[in-house]
Formats: sequence, structure tokens, C-alpha cells
Amino acid sequence: MSQRVGQAAGVATARWAGDGQARRLPRALARPWVARLLSLLLVLAIWWTVLPLLPTVLLPSPGRVAEFMWDELRGDTLAPDTVYESFAISLQRLGLGFLLALAVGIPIGLATGLFRAVAAFLHDFVVVGLAIPSLLWALVTAMWFGFGSAAPIVTVFLASLPFVVINVSEGVRAVPRELLDAARAYEVPARRSIRHVVLPSLMPFLFASMRYGLANGWKGLVLAEVFAATNGAGWAIRYWYDAHRAHGVVGYALFFLLFALLLERLVFGRLAARVFRWRATDTGPRARRKEPHGADQG
Amino acid sequence: MVSRARALPRRLPLRLPRPRPRGETGWRIAGYLSFLLLWQLVSTFLVAPHILPPPLRILQEIRDILASGELLTHFGATLQKIAIGFGLALLLGVAVGIAMGTSRWWEAFFGDWVLLLLTTPGLVFALVTAMIFGLSYLGPIVAIVITSFPFVTINVVEGVKAAPRDLVDMAKSYRVRSWAMQRHVMVPFLAPYLFTAMRYGFSQAWKITTLTEIIGGTKGIGFMMRTEFQVFSMAGFLAWALTFFAFALFLERVVLQRQIDRFFRWRPEVAR
Repeated sequence: MSQRVGQAAGVATARWAGDGQARRLPRALARPWVARLLSLLLVLAIWWTVLPLLPTVLLPSPGRVAEFMWDELRGDTLAPDTVYESFAISLQRLGLGFLLALAVGIPIGLATGLFRAVAAFLHDFVVVGLAIPSLLWALVTAMWFGFGSAAPIVTVFLASLPFVVINVSEGVRAVPRELLDAARAYEVPARRSIRHVVLPSLMPFLFASMRYGLANGWKGLVLAEVFAATNGAGWAIRYWYDAHRAHGVVGYALFFLLFALLLERLVFGRLAARVFRWRATDTGPRARRKEPHGADQG
Repeated sequence: MVSRARALPRRLPLRLPRPRPRGETGWRIAGYLSFLLLWQLVSTFLVAPHILPPPLRILQEIRDILASGELLTHFGATLQKIAIGFGLALLLGVAVGIAMGTSRWWEAFFGDWVLLLLTTPGLVFALVTAMIFGLSYLGPIVAIVITSFPFVTINVVEGVKAAPRDLVDMAKSYRVRSWAMQRHVMVPFLAPYLFTAMRYGFSQAWKITTLTEIIGGTKGIGFMMRTEFQVFSMAGFLAWALTFFAFALFLERVVLQRQIDRFFRWRPEVAR
């Protein structure tokens, strides 16, 4: 017994050093992709076994959901729009709202970054803006604009604006003064010093504003579409919910997960690698002297 | 000195550098005044009062709600769900976070799911749980756990990964017993990450709770927000929403933060 305890403690300390697990598992099982596969299978298995135990007949089986998703992906659907059309509509709204936020947010961010008076004037509003759940914007804009595209677009704008403002303003403050001074001393043209000094150091902050602004905007957009749209991805999941088609709701939920995965892995992963390729040591914004701002989202 | 940057969690709390008190207080007050003035002007001259009720109208509404005593019932119902759901999310999040931080295998096992749950809109889970569990209490609680625990997990993972290996190595070479090392090295090191995890988790929890109540609640803040929304009463809607959001933000930013500050009095470099 005491030997076992000692062993366990030994394992625990080795694990803090980061190499314990490989020793305890057979080699074939220790590979990360096996773990990923196992976790997927486990979720499916739980789904299958828990199904009869739940207090409802509404939860569909994995097979039923897969069938639904396959039909949707082939473009065969009972809903007015196919899944591609729905997500395309939503993405357009997201893009438009976020462009508006950039157009308004970058000038404000520059002003708050450069002038302390402006920063003091706006500080508390930006902080409160970051904390306001996008749910509030979605419902308020729904009441303002009624059904249509306006409410989702304005929701995206309002939900992502504070992220743009705060990150641009922090980015302006993080531009290395000494490099600018050196550039001036060597009479580097303004355009080149903007291109080679200001932009590279602004980049991580713009990137952060995009990442967190779009994430918050997306969540708000989906809500706004539920309450105040007649098409789009958020509206589609509500359509299945109102029709009491559980396989539709769960299927669409999985589409949302897939979409999130696509966005994380392909878009942001690739983009970050490209934008930060000049930086030898680290590929994320974390190596900067000042941190870009992300946030909790609702 | 351990550099401040390394001792802090990566996700810092959001704030612009505090405006210096002298000279800038004026600008700050000017900010509030012009905001109120703008609001008042817009609601008087530009749009109809049901689109944007003037500030006083909303204050009146809040006073009516307070006087009617409904506030306590609905706050109570909502807070109860948050407490249960967030408690479970915290336990799950810490367990998963420690597993992911200490072993690559578990990181691969949970990694995708945590990332996905972070990025997927909470609405999706609110709808699915409402569908499965109907109007019972279970639905919102499951939704809170699913959407909040990843926020806890990512912060814990980051803490565990940043653990001071040199201290662990030294403790090992001096044969410090395992529990003593956990107690004196790991726990103090992880504590700030854990508190950040709590703040983010809580912040997610109260938002998703109101959402589940909007979709399928029979009581609670979200339910009242939906009721006012359905009769297009902007003043009533804002009164309920703002009262609760102000309260939740107060809990999150002031109460929780004060606890954190007190806890870290002995370590001023992490208390923020």
C-alpha cells in the first residue's frame, strides 16, 4: 500500500515535469491523435447510452442527426434556405457590421491612444461596452429595427466596437518610441517608418481586436437573428426549434461547432502564422511588451 | 524578482491605463455629462420615447420594480441557478484544466472540445438544453456548466503550464514531500490563475443564465426581460436588464475583485 502511494506521488511529481503520461500508457495509445479520436468516440458512446435515460423523447439519436446533417450538406432541406445559404447570409452581416466597427473604432482608438483627455473622456464607456452582453444589444436592436437585416448588423457593430477601440488605442501606446526616434534621426520617409515600425507593432493589437471583436460579434449576431431576422444561421436553428424538430436543432448546433472549428483552425491559425511570421520566437501576441485585450463573452 | 509579466495570467483584466486623477477627472465627468445630455436630447427630439426612453423614465421604472418587491423573487431564481451551475462548472473546469496542463494526452483528449465550446454561441446550447429538458431547472444548469467550464479550463491550463519548473526541480532535489510541494509551490502559484478563471467563468455564467431564461424560463430576470420585450416596452426591458447587469458586474468586478485583492495582500505584484 505504502509503496503504491509512493509510486503515485512519484508519478505526480514526474507529471509536473511534463513527461509522466507517456510512460504509463502503451506506446500506440499514447499518441495525441488517438486521444482525439477516443474523446470523439466516447462522446458518441455517452450520447447513445444516455439517450434512453433522459426525461424526454425529443433527443434524437446520433444516426438521425447525422442523416439530417448529410441531407443539409447535400442541399436537401425542408427549411427555406440550405445550410450554405444560411451561413453565407450570416457571414455577410458579420462582415458588414465588423467593417462598420473598424471604420468607427479605428479613429476613436487612435484618438484615445494619442490624447489623454480623450482617453479620460471615453474610458469608462469603453470598459462598460466591453462588459455589456451581446444579448442586450440583440434584443434592443430587435426592438429598434424590427425584422430584417438591420438589427443583426447593428448588433455586430455595437458588440465589436469596444474591442476595436481598446485594442487600437493600446496598440498606439505600444509603438516603440525609440525606433520612431531612430527613424527620424536617419531621415527615413514617413511612409516607410509607418510601414516598418508603426504597422508591425500595431498588428498584434489589430489582430486581437479582430479575433475578440468578431467572436463577440458572431455571438451577438446569432442572437439578433433569432429575435429579429427572417433568414440566416441563427434564424435557421430557431426555425427547427419552433418546428420541434430536435434533430434539426442538434444538427444545426453541430454545424455551429464545425463552423467554429473551421474558423479557429483554418482562418485564425493560418492568419496568425502569416501576420506574425516576422517574429522569430513566438507566433502569438503574447510576446509583446503590452498585451492585446481579449475578453469574456456572452 | 519574477517579472510581473510572467507571474500574471495571459488574459489580463480589461482596462485602459487609469486616467491620472489630476486634470483628467474633469474630462471624465465631462464624459458622463455629455453622455446623459446626448441621451436626453436624442430621446426628446430625435426619436420616439418608446425607441429610447429618457434616463429619468428608466429610473422611475426601476423604482417601481423595487417597490413592487418582484425584484427579489426574480433575482433569487436567477442567482440560485447561477450558483449551482457555476459551482459545478468550476469543479469540472479545474479538473479538466489540471489534466490538460499536466499531460499532452489529456490535452489532445479535451483540447478540441474546449476550443469548440469556447467559440460556439451560447444560444446553441441554450436551445438544445431547452429542447431536451423542457422547463425544468436542469436545462439551464446543464447549459451553464457546458458554456462556463471551458473559460475556467483555459485559465487553469495556462497556470499549470507556466508552473515554475525550477522550484519544482529544487523541491524534488531536496526531497520535499509531494503534498508539501503542492501546498507551498503549486497552490500559491496557481491561485491567481484560478481567480482569473473564476472571474471569466462567472461572467459567462450570468450571461448564459439570462439567455436560458429568455428562451424557456418561467421565472427570473431573463423571463422578465422576455415579458417586457414581447410587449415592446423598452423602458421596462432596460430597467430589468440594466438592474441585473449592473448587479452582476458589481459582483464580478467589485466583490470578486476585492476578495482577490485581500487574498493577495501578501503578494502585491499579482493583486491587480
